[in-house]
Amino acid sequence: MLSVFNIQRYSIHDGEGIRTTIFFKGCPLRCLWCNNPESHDPAPSVMYDKRLCLGFGDCAIEGNGAIVLRQGRPVIDRSLFRDPLRLNNICPSKALVITGDSMNPGQIIREVEKDAPFFEICRGGVTLTGGEPLLQGPDLKKLITGLKKRSISITIETSLHVEWGRIKNYIPVTDMFLADFKHTDPYKFREFTGGEAQLVMDNLTKLDKSGAPFIIRVPVIPLFNHSEKEINSIIEFTGTLKNVREIHLIPFNNFGAEKYRMLGIDYSYKGRKRLTETDVAPYAELASKKGLTAKIVL
Amino acid sequence: MIADTKEAFITERIEHLRERLLSARPTICTERARIYTEVYREHESFPVIVRRALALEKTLAEMTLYIEEGSLLAGNQASKPRAAPIFPEYVVAWIVKEMDELDKRPGDAFFVTREQKDELREICRWWEGKTLIERGYSLMSPLNRDIYESGIIRAEGNLTSGDAHLAVNFEKILEKGLAGYLENITTRTGSLDRNDPDYPAKRDFFTALGKGIEAFISFIKRYEALARSLSDKETDHTRKTELLTISDNCRNISERPPSDFYQALQLTWFVQLVLQIESNGHSVSLGRMDQYLYRFYKNDIESGRITDDFVMELLGNMWLKLLSVNKIRSWSHTRYSAGSPLYQNVTIGGQTTGGRDAVNELSYLILRSVGMMKLTQPNLSVRFHRNISDDFMMECIRVIEKGFGMPAFNNDEIVIPSFIKLGVSREDAYNYSAIGCIETAVPGKWGYRCTGMSFINFMRVFLAAMHDGLDTMSGRIFHKGTGRFEDFRGFDDLMNAWKHQIEFYTRASVAIDRAADTALEEMVPDILCSAFVDDCIERGKTIKEGGSVYDFVSGLQVGIANLGNSLAAIKKLVYEEKKITREELRKSLENNFEGKSGERVRQLLLNYAPKYGNDEDYTDILLREAYMAYINELEQYTTTRAGRGPVGCRYYAGTSSISANVPSGSVVPATPDGRKAFTPLAEGSSPSSGTDVLGPTAVFKSVAKLPTDKILGGVLLNQKLSPSVISEESDKRKLISILRTFFTTLKGWHVQYNIVSRQTLLAARENPEKYRDLVVRVAGYSAFFTTLSPDTQNDIIARTEQSL
Repeated sequence: MLSVFNIQRYSIHDGEGIRTTIFFKGCPLRCLWCNNPESHDPAPSVMYDKRLCLGFGDCAIEGNGAIVLRQGRPVIDRSLFRDPLRLNNICPSKALVITGDSMNPGQIIREVEKDAPFFEICRGGVTLTGGEPLLQGPDLKKLITGLKKRSISITIETSLHVEWGRIKNYIPVTDMFLADFKHTDPYKFREFTGGEAQLVMDNLTKLDKSGAPFIIRVPVIPLFNHSEKEINSIIEFTGTLKNVREIHLIPFNNFGAEKYRMLGIDYSYKGRKRLTETDVAPYAELASKKGLTAKIVL
Repeated sequence: MIADTKEAFITERIEHLRERLLSARPTICTERARIYTEVYREHESFPVIVRRALALEKTLAEMTLYIEEGSLLAGNQASKPRAAPIFPEYVVAWIVKEMDELDKRPGDAFFVTREQKDELREICRWWEGKTLIERGYSLMSPLNRDIYESGIIRAEGNLTSGDAHLAVNFEKILEKGLAGYLENITTRTGSLDRNDPDYPAKRDFFTALGKGIEAFISFIKRYEALARSLSDKETDHTRKTELLTISDNCRNISERPPSDFYQALQLTWFVQLVLQIESNGHSVSLGRMDQYLYRFYKNDIESGRITDDFVMELLGNMWLKLLSVNKIRSWSHTRYSAGSPLYQNVTIGGQTTGGRDAVNELSYLILRSVGMMKLTQPNLSVRFHRNISDDFMMECIRVIEKGFGMPAFNNDEIVIPSFIKLGVSREDAYNYSAIGCIETAVPGKWGYRCTGMSFINFMRVFLAAMHDGLDTMSGRIFHKGTGRFEDFRGFDDLMNAWKHQIEFYTRASVAIDRAADTALEEMVPDILCSAFVDDCIERGKTIKEGGSVYDFVSGLQVGIANLGNSLAAIKKLVYEEKKITREELRKSLENNFEGKSGERVRQLLLNYAPKYGNDEDYTDILLREAYMAYINELEQYTTTRAGRGPVGCRYYAGTSSISANVPSGSVVPATPDGRKAFTPLAEGSSPSSGTDVLGPTAVFKSVAKLPTDKILGGVLLNQKLSPSVISEESDKRKLISILRTFFTTLKGWHVQYNIVSRQTLLAARENPEKYRDLVVRVAGYSAFFTTLSPDTQNDIIARTEQSL
């Protein structure tokens, strides 16, 4: 089974053409700015949007003590959840939802096929992202081969923060990798993502050697890498790679803020203003000077 | 081919004309009403068609003419720009009743002077009891009259104005000239058989046509004289020459065919104009303008007589002329047609009769000039086909990006084969054009109202099906049902109840149409319009008597998405998952979802049932089945022209519901899709506001599952895109690619785009004065946003903004 939290059709900014993007749940990193905090936990997550809550109280009945009503509105103690799936489809107004479905490859393929007629003219296809898609179990391979059998092109967006074997396994069936490259400095990387920069850079080198086509994606994040020096070191390293097609700069945005509230998690970047195209334009220029094809992806 | 895109600039002249026209306050003009009343009174014993010819003749001879300062084209509809003439022969009742309220309307206000009111009152007094609407009412059975009054079926526009909804044969007019028509009429009159029982009618018909064409010729000659006298008085040398050219053009085309592009455009405008003086039917359309004007354009360009810049200026001037035409409707009718639309459609692109891409240089110029002017007229449609170039599509997207709702796309890949299946000749099918909003017909050969017959409010019918036939709004049982929803054991009972009711109302709608058609045929025959549609002259018949080559019509069905969503919600939540009991649903609908338990039911309906527009077969197939019940019944009936000449004389379905979704919703109680009482229904074939959450491809898939080959009156799909979705060149290419799939693979019927950000609309609602020129796509046509009533404005704001 595969753990999926969203299937988004008509994605036009995640690779070539029109794509259906599949978001997998579970991630080895905890990037402080992450836009998809519901992707972190591989298990289903409880999200509560108080703006939609009309106070029906069904959740308190099914919540087994983890949810109590105060002034007609639920107060959630997530540490007490035993079986969040019990709460699935309980809330009439969908203020409280369970995010994360267990799907088998066949179910996902059926969803993807709905938009297949649109892929042909624009050379679109499927983008697997997350979370970290490469952390999914063996069904991922079944999914990908199933899609390939239907001539649907595959793009995988990955943090590269997984053991090399997991990446290598998918090289023969992947048309394009979108490889996240966030920082070169091990301390900063650890502080902001909880992961190891070296693992990412090693995998990047190996990916390059394998001959697989890939695009580097750099989130430009205030306090983390939003400086000429830091972005430059990413560009320097990227410049040594042979099979890199493009480098994409993604300016920070705070579109995920509401989701942190819904999950009851603190958001380190709360209230911070988003970056604009102009803010990252100088970095795109730096990359171009290095001979890389740079794009700003909003 | 003009491959590069240069930004088109409005010349100073056009800018002045545009500014003056946009700032003109809509008023009314009583000239036509006065003259028609005089002639009707004086000749009460004459056959109606002759009386109408005399009235038209006198109007064209005496009405005020003017040529706006700087205008390159002559021809005005009424004594002032944006002044709506009055057509008392169709209806006067509402005019008298609403006269003092016209300037206080929340939308589409008209300003009327005290003198005009006094004159109108007197005119209307004579007409009381003699108008079309009264005759129409008298032809309806009492039961149908009650149904009409209940609002379940509406046909107000059919009894308060002329038919129109067609394009005349411009190609032939430009080829033969008006003298050519006159000659044909004379010959036909001479060869009439006096022993033919129809002889008197045919003689009157030709007498009227002869007078009509002669009056038209004299009308053009009046402009020839006016332009010359203005030129004589003009001191500015350039303008003097321009006025002389206008005069020469008028002299040339008053009888003879035009000899260049400028004259051809002037004659096209004159024809378009007189049709809208003769009758106030709307959706008088121009057909495939890039085709019939092309030979003139090509000649002039090759001989160096004109430049593209001048053509752009002329076209800009032409679009302003179209906008200067105005129509006043009763308030109740206005709510169905918000924004004073005349729906004068221009169609470009498509294929030649030989199946080749018909896009030419003039197609680009028309597209660009419409984009440059950003007006509500003409209503521009592009005929898509599989071999249309990416270059032309890109040019279309660039105009769409300007955010005034044009062009809309029609699809050759579905319309042409469907027409051929109906019996339209291959050559004619390839020559179809859009009419009015989005509906389609063969220009110059098709009768009135390829759409625009009566409206059926699907959700009122659906609620009656749930109440054993009781219409709760009127308290009447118009047709005994098959039981009450509380007693339906399974979903099939509900579907059968719907079929039982919709079949009845379909029959009622046809009966109401026949009453309107009979009244229109008897009381207000069109003279010039019949002259310019084949084969009226050959058959010696008006269009309404069966003069046209083809005759297919459609009514309008309102509440398509609501019907699908209601069926799906009940099937899933009541019968399959049993989340809601029948009794709970009944009570919640009755109380308009009031109280906590009612709201709970509403939330379940909204959130736990699949919705049309999300590519869910569950809902889409139920909707198709329910819609087919209407279509299967409808296909059994004919129009009043059956057996009298035209091919067809049949009905098909149509969803080009203009702005009817708002007033139609205002008479529908709460519905099982979770919609609250008296709020708007979904418009056209678009998903209900805010329920299509998977983006445009899913919407395309859902819409394409409708029986589109049987909804030839139009499968109207409005999509709203936020500007950011197509700002990049690559985004535009992606949009083109999904359009290609929608049309070529999925056989979609139509789509149009509103590209206005929500913020802009909200700002315009708050500060209308700053957004006087903001044009939005309403439904099948565009309107100035600030002229719309608050209800319609809110409805447009609420429609889903497809975004990522």
